[in-house]
Amino acid sequence: MTPRRTVYLVVSLLFSMLVSAIGNAQETSVPIKAVQLTGLKGIKDNTKGTLSVENGNLHFVHGKASSDVSASSIQDVVTAADSQRAVGGTIGLMSMAAPYGGGRVLSLFRTKIDTLTVQYRDADGGLHGAIFTMSAGTAEAIKKALVAQGAHTTATGEPTAVPAPSSTSSNKEQKQ
Amino acid sequence: MKRFPSPCIWLSAFTLLFVASPLLARKNEPAKIKAAAIQVEMIQSDEIKLPAEFQVALYENLIRQLEKQGFSHVYRDGDRNAASVADLVVLHSTVRGFKAGSEKARQVTTVSGATSITVHCQFTRPDGMSLLERDVNGKVRFFGGNLKATYDFAKKAAHVANENFSSPASE
Repeated sequence: MTPRRTVYLVVSLLFSMLVSAIGNAQETSVPIKAVQLTGLKGIKDNTKGTLSVENGNLHFVHGKASSDVSASSIQDVVTAADSQRAVGGTIGLMSMAAPYGGGRVLSLFRTKIDTLTVQYRDADGGLHGAIFTMSAGTAEAIKKALVAQGAHTTATGEPTAVPAPSSTSSNKEQKQ
Repeated sequence: MKRFPSPCIWLSAFTLLFVASPLLARKNEPAKIKAAAIQVEMIQSDEIKLPAEFQVALYENLIRQLEKQGFSHVYRDGDRNAASVADLVVLHSTVRGFKAGSEKARQVTTVSGATSITVHCQFTRPDGMSLLERDVNGKVRFFGGNLKATYDFAKKAAHVANENFSSPASE
């Protein structure tokens, strides 16, 4: 074997190792800060926590409480883009009473977020749905990791995150 | 000679009138349909393009509100345990109208940006026999995110179910 051929072999081997490492990294995602809006058993609505995909499960942790959804039980996983008030909660509500429309000006400042919606079946076959929000650009990684570990999705193609209906749609009512 | 009845007689007459009228109205109410349990099918939106988070929020809120209204057994779509239940009512929901609205527009203008959703609710027996059909809408006009419209719908739909169906737990 010539030295040149050996170099080619080593380079191609290193390249294939790098590609597989990237693939594995996508399958097990790093924990992401998320808000569980609704749907997980044993977790209250609008709970902040961390969301990750580990050992074939969608794993949500809030303090000591945690909830797992098996990726194989997920029938559909969809991501979308949305926005929310930059100043929310009690302060946001109180600001509505600010004089000279100060609260309304605050409403103009919004942060972009991603939403992740999953539909899954329990042991009895009952259908559940869960909705999470997280910082913009992070939902797609979770979705890819879930799909890699056996979750199904009806939304095909690369980015399923679409512009928020709340901010960019024409707001025309669709009627049957 | 007394020309007018005493105040006591007037008072008794009014009391009788106020007490009797609600009771009489109650007698005229249609009898509730017996429902041992209710199964909620997933919200369908074939003709209206509905974001996935709205579909799931409608479904989850509907189940939660039905449980709050006193239905002892609320089964989810596809739950195998529902198959053996007698007097089961199945709730099919189809989205008929959807206006996405805008939380930002609501907060800035207070008059525009309302989110509204209209859902056709059909209550049937497992064999498909229709028991009740009603259009129910959900709205958010001022405060809250767009998904709050799904909560409004769920409350109204659960109220319709409670008015027309009698669950052993709510009796």
